[in-house]
Amino acid sequence: MHFRAALGRVLLGALGAWLVLPGGAAAAILKINGSTTVNLPVAEAAEILRAEQKLQITVDTQGGSSGGISMLGDGQVEIGMSSKHVGAADRAKFPRVKFQETHIGEDAVALIVSRDVWNSGVTNLTQAQVRELYEGRVTNWKQVGGLDRRIAFFNKEPGRGTWEVFTHWLYGDSKKAPPVNFPEVGGNEETRNKVASTRGAISQLSASWADGKTVFALGIKTESGDAVLPTAANIANHTYPMSRPLFVVTNGDPAGEAKIFIDFLLSSRGQALVRKHGYLSLDQLK
Amino acid sequence: MFFKPTSQPPDVRRRRLPRVPHTRVFSWLCTFLVGLFLLSLVALFGWQSLPVWRDVGPAYVTGTLWFYRQHTFGTLPMIYGSVVVSVVALVLAVPVGVGAAICTAEILPPRLRLAVKIAVELLAGIPSVVYGLLGILFLRDWVYRLLSPWDPLSGDTLLTAGILVGVMILPTVLTLTDDALRGVPALQRQAARGLGLTCSETVCSVVLPQAWPGIVAAVLLALGRSLGEMIAVFLVVGRQDNQWPAHLLSPQPLMQSGQTLASKLGGSETNIAYGDPLHWAAILGLGLLLLFLVGTITAMSFRFLRQDRHA
Repeated sequence: MHFRAALGRVLLGALGAWLVLPGGAAAAILKINGSTTVNLPVAEAAEILRAEQKLQITVDTQGGSSGGISMLGDGQVEIGMSSKHVGAADRAKFPRVKFQETHIGEDAVALIVSRDVWNSGVTNLTQAQVRELYEGRVTNWKQVGGLDRRIAFFNKEPGRGTWEVFTHWLYGDSKKAPPVNFPEVGGNEETRNKVASTRGAISQLSASWADGKTVFALGIKTESGDAVLPTAANIANHTYPMSRPLFVVTNGDPAGEAKIFIDFLLSSRGQALVRKHGYLSLDQLK
Repeated sequence: MFFKPTSQPPDVRRRRLPRVPHTRVFSWLCTFLVGLFLLSLVALFGWQSLPVWRDVGPAYVTGTLWFYRQHTFGTLPMIYGSVVVSVVALVLAVPVGVGAAICTAEILPPRLRLAVKIAVELLAGIPSVVYGLLGILFLRDWVYRLLSPWDPLSGDTLLTAGILVGVMILPTVLTLTDDALRGVPALQRQAARGLGLTCSETVCSVVLPQAWPGIVAAVLLALGRSLGEMIAVFLVVGRQDNQWPAHLLSPQPLMQSGQTLASKLGGSETNIAYGDPLHWAAILGLGLLLLFLVGTITAMSFRFLRQDRHA
């Protein structure tokens, strides 16, 4: 009886303490979330700063750019990663948050196809062809000069920066994009993997991920008849139409650890990381 | 006086202690907290999803189209997807799981049985994202090749998701069925064998009928898990909305991409929905539907488990 009573008291006490006391005061952790595209250089920068400056940093990619922006808006993270501008709708959703974008580089969205499509001669498409394909009016590759196979369109899920850039290019505004019915893909690895392993597949993917071995980036045929490939030069001089800025976003001017982190991204070492992952660094854009 | 403690007035401390049953208070408190948590969860989901029940009404569960920009929210294809994936999983996992449980409970020597059980329960503890990645690496391509005579669009199909979930719920079916079978008293087996029944006759006509409620409970618990499975399904189901089949019983949808309630909730649409009250309500409504489905099935399985104990 004594023992049980004592145990009960201890448990009750522990429960009370757990309910009343706040979590242990841990050192401030710099939390970052957002686009898988921006994540590549940011995660590597975080690793370097963890080792060199003993900063505590967590980097996550929940929900892509929209996830980064809304978690920053909610105050769950200090830095959001985004591969699109913070829209007026986002700003209206979080009126108290002063979204401050810091440009760290540029990326292009490529239309990638599987090997069988590429080998059958489909190496570029016009904007009108892409639109017909996206709206489901072209459903077989032979309609655009390729092999006789149904088109397996893997649509990047809405809310991802890649999808926004793609629909912005096709329709001028992502909100004007018609409702479509395709299987959806999320992260870059998933997209590349699924396109590479499916015959007749096409999807939108960050150009740096189009390796030319398992998946192939299509050129965009302009009105003059040239096929413009998503190469560094074409992205920098904006002849390739589907490119997008890469941002880290903070609430107001970056301060404290966030400032150290962003300064590092803008330094020559940080910009080297941007280039290392296949994006264009700021000096390449000038 | 000193030698007759029984005639003494009871000691103050001894009398006071049993009056405050700490253990009972503590367990009631914990039960209360759990109940409160569950109730507030349902209340929160119900309250936040109120706009969709008001604006869309019954069409929310009978509509077959989901276009969030047009504010069209019909969840039937997702409910259908969840059901198909779960049925495929059960069709695969139940015969294998129950068969293996008969083997472990009735045939294997006790030590080997224990070893098998430990291994199987370890399998049950593997995080589902691991299964999902294995599914992406191997199962998708395997199903894609398997279905190639029918020219599937890709390897992301309801069938792929069903097979993957089937593998995931197999340990649950096996270990719970094994427990149910072991719950049948050994005396009855001996009596059956004494009457001249063979081993398989004993299992079929004595053990299985008695363990039946427990087996049903095992299957229902596995069903609950398969309905709620998110990440593994998310990676291989294709996440294609509005896949309502022309014929309900046709096998065609198995070879096509689809969407389940849980995989929809795992997508990045939840981030877009935030801030649009109706869209947000529609997303939370999915959570409520899922909670309702899984809750009902779990409650049913506990009914069967109780029957089993009474039997």
